[in-house]
Amino acid sequence: MAWKGIWQLKKLVVSYCDWGGSSRGIRAFIESNLPAYKDSNPQLEVITELSRGQHPCLKAFYKNKNERVVCVKNLASEDVLLHATRLRNALGRKVKKLPTRHVTKHPSVQGTWTTDVRF
Amino acid sequence: MAQRRWLQTVTRHALPLLSSKPTTSLKPLPHLPAPISLKSILSPKPLQQFLYTDPTLFHARSFSSSSRDDSENEEDDGEEGSEEEEDYDSDSNEAEVDDVTVSDMKREYSAEEKEAEAATIGYKVTGPLLPSDRVLKHREPVFAVVQVGSHQFKVSNGDCIYVERLKFCEVNDKLILNKVLMLGTSTQTIIGRPILPDAAVHAVVEEHALDAKVIIFKKKRRKNYRRTKGHRQELTRLRIADIQGIEKPQPKVDPKQKMAAVKQQEKVAVAA
Repeated sequence: MAWKGIWQLKKLVVSYCDWGGSSRGIRAFIESNLPAYKDSNPQLEVITELSRGQHPCLKAFYKNKNERVVCVKNLASEDVLLHATRLRNALGRKVKKLPTRHVTKHPSVQGTWTTDVRF
Repeated sequence: MAQRRWLQTVTRHALPLLSSKPTTSLKPLPHLPAPISLKSILSPKPLQQFLYTDPTLFHARSFSSSSRDDSENEEDDGEEGSEEEEDYDSDSNEAEVDDVTVSDMKREYSAEEKEAEAATIGYKVTGPLLPSDRVLKHREPVFAVVQVGSHQFKVSNGDCIYVERLKFCEVNDKLILNKVLMLGTSTQTIIGRPILPDAAVHAVVEEHALDAKVIIFKKKRRKNYRRTKGHRQELTRLRIADIQGIEKPQPKVDPKQKMAAVKQQEKVAVAA
């Protein structure tokens, strides 16, 4: 999320409907949790967007120009907060199966072992 | 084998004592040897007694260190004896452990509990990364083998590693990984037995994210049974900032600068 201390999530759009039943949780989220969330993330631009007749979703825009959309229909306000925090905690890279859990540019300090090495 | 049987008897005798007084009975033990040794100085007879009681005392201590209650001692001695003992007391402790995991599901942790849990995994949170901190440096030819949870990684600074999600840290926190098993430079290697207590690896939390989806598919032949379940593992990405505990070799002088210095010297020699 934060690469070298720089937060990668630039903008979060909270899209909801003021009438629909699937937006009930997100309406509660906007009232109760969103102000605190905004305060704890001053680096982040949070926008609420009213789109009537649509299911609610969270749209995240990252510094590497990636975009991630999470559908939050019929979710409770705590679950919406969890999704918002997850979006904040991500670097915005593409989700792929990791070939290795150790990424390095310089794989060997003492030299790569070959069959010619004699100790 | 004989030693094993003897240990078994010792543990059998020690267990009721331990179960009656779970942790408080263990702490006074390190103070015990002092009065006994005084007695032994005063008169020769109790010396034998002291010698006789001494091994049991010490074993009771190592036994206490292997119990799950105190995690700090567990790191310090990973000797063979403690492992064997753990096999024996695991049966009796199983019921307790189950209780704990059930109540753990949604439990609030105090600061000390968080620290203790983090210590068993092998990290310590030292606070958020401030913009003024310049923790990420140029590459140094140093590596460390470090254990986080049950995974071991060979890292040097600037690397990034994915570990199972670390519970009590936020993104942008600085961590100290203290279970270092090995340190090395191009010329020197230090091996811990099993860990190096003075060494530390500094890291920064970069990301809490979900891994790619894994599909669990179960099928039974001819039974019309199919189950599909998806799973996404929570991971934490760490950036290694620094490795401490080993003498780092001096950074190599830039070859161009060296050449310039040599040329200057030649010029001086010609002039003279």
